[in-house]
Amino acid sequence: MQYHKPKNISEVTELLDTFNGSAQIIAGGTDMLVETRYHQQNLKEHWIDISEIDELKQIHVIDGQISIGPAATHSDITGNDVIKQHAPLLAEACRVIGSLQIRNRGTIGGNVCNASPCADSIPALIVLDAQLVIDSAEGEQVKPISEFFIKPYKTILTPGSWLKNIRIHKMDTEDKFAFLKLGRRNALAISRMNFAVVMKISNHIIDSVRLAPGSVYPIWRRVTEAEEFLQGKKASETMFKEAGKIVADSMIKTSGRRWSTPYKEPAVANLTERVLCKAVKFDC
Amino acid sequence: MSPKDISRRKFIKNLGGGVVGAGVAIQTLSAKTRKESKPPSKSDSAVALTFTVNKKPITLLVEPESTLADVLRNDLKLTGTKVVCNHGECGACTVLLDGRAVYSCHMLALDAQGKSVTTIEGLMDGEKLHPVQEAFVEHDGLQCGFCTPGQVMAAEAILIKNPKPGKEEIIEGMSGNLCRCAAYPNILKSAVAAAEKLNKS
Repeated sequence: MQYHKPKNISEVTELLDTFNGSAQIIAGGTDMLVETRYHQQNLKEHWIDISEIDELKQIHVIDGQISIGPAATHSDITGNDVIKQHAPLLAEACRVIGSLQIRNRGTIGGNVCNASPCADSIPALIVLDAQLVIDSAEGEQVKPISEFFIKPYKTILTPGSWLKNIRIHKMDTEDKFAFLKLGRRNALAISRMNFAVVMKISNHIIDSVRLAPGSVYPIWRRVTEAEEFLQGKKASETMFKEAGKIVADSMIKTSGRRWSTPYKEPAVANLTERVLCKAVKFDC
Repeated sequence: MSPKDISRRKFIKNLGGGVVGAGVAIQTLSAKTRKESKPPSKSDSAVALTFTVNKKPITLLVEPESTLADVLRNDLKLTGTKVVCNHGECGACTVLLDGRAVYSCHMLALDAQGKSVTTIEGLMDGEKLHPVQEAFVEHDGLQCGFCTPGQVMAAEAILIKNPKPGKEEIIEGMSGNLCRCAAYPNILKSAVAAAEKLNKS
């Protein structure tokens, strides 16, 4: 294995282009170091470490949008004032990842590009409608996150391209939001299932709602069926329970009845209900 | 002394004398064997790593795929850092990288280039224990002790970031360190006591 530490963004693209398919990007390395021990065949000869490029760690507001460098660690994100103020949902999602030690190393870009079904930041980025800036020797392109994933652990990134930036819209201060994860224990657990929600509510009526679960569909998507059902309804536990059933039905429709369905069906319904209740601070 | 009088701490203290003695013997032995054996050969892909370990500047050749824990334990013989799961799930290998807690088994050694690493060996001031270590001894924050270096480093990292952490912050910050003996109540007590100790001094 050969290790490269480029100093700036253009060097990253150059190195990727030079090694033409035999290189891969490493940032915090929390997922890749597991691969080195268990799935060596998946690893490439050249490793390009982007974790020290300052520009790729910055989080700031550009043209009214929040720009997040892919090498920003989960700790950087949870502790960042721009994120806390304008995208608190993302902070909430990144706060439950792994443990303090993992959050100090693992990066948001790595979480997205590794595309593990249990990734906690992805459902939050989906409801926040993130735009991903992808760079390659041919130039830059911007893709919505909903078009980024092909299947678990597989994205549209080609061998010469890489994720250079993540952009999200600012949330409104009145937005109701919540993130919940279901793990085998509270700490240091990989999510079995997770859920992100953002809602706009006026006079108890749901004006709009965006729901995205993780580990429920083959790839991430918003549950438009449940979103349409909730829109215009009064926020109440009964409605949230109904929405939970719709999410569970839609999961079975997409994936079919599988060995895990007897567990997942009530689990996803309850998780939906709870995440919606949490967002509006209902006790259920 | 009747068997009743033998507390666990006294027992461990007595045992400690034996362990220290054994440690000296092993050190002399390994110094001898090291002299005789050739330095471990490094492949062509080995890269120079320059960083600071426990305030000492160090430069050595490392294989690119070596983890920080490998280098600390095998090359620098700092075996206070323990490796248990070896894939970032237990916390025994926790060290400080520029003052933040990281799993040393779960990062490349080369990622520490130019940075400062503190291991459990770096906490002591000569023969004097660090206040966090003292708190763990005083409050019995361990049973078998294998996870303890990692627990101490995790507690230290929290205290560096916030000298007056709340109990919740300590619980959250230390949740990445597992203890198979489940000595958690005393580990927590030790970390809380360490915070109080540091604020007094």
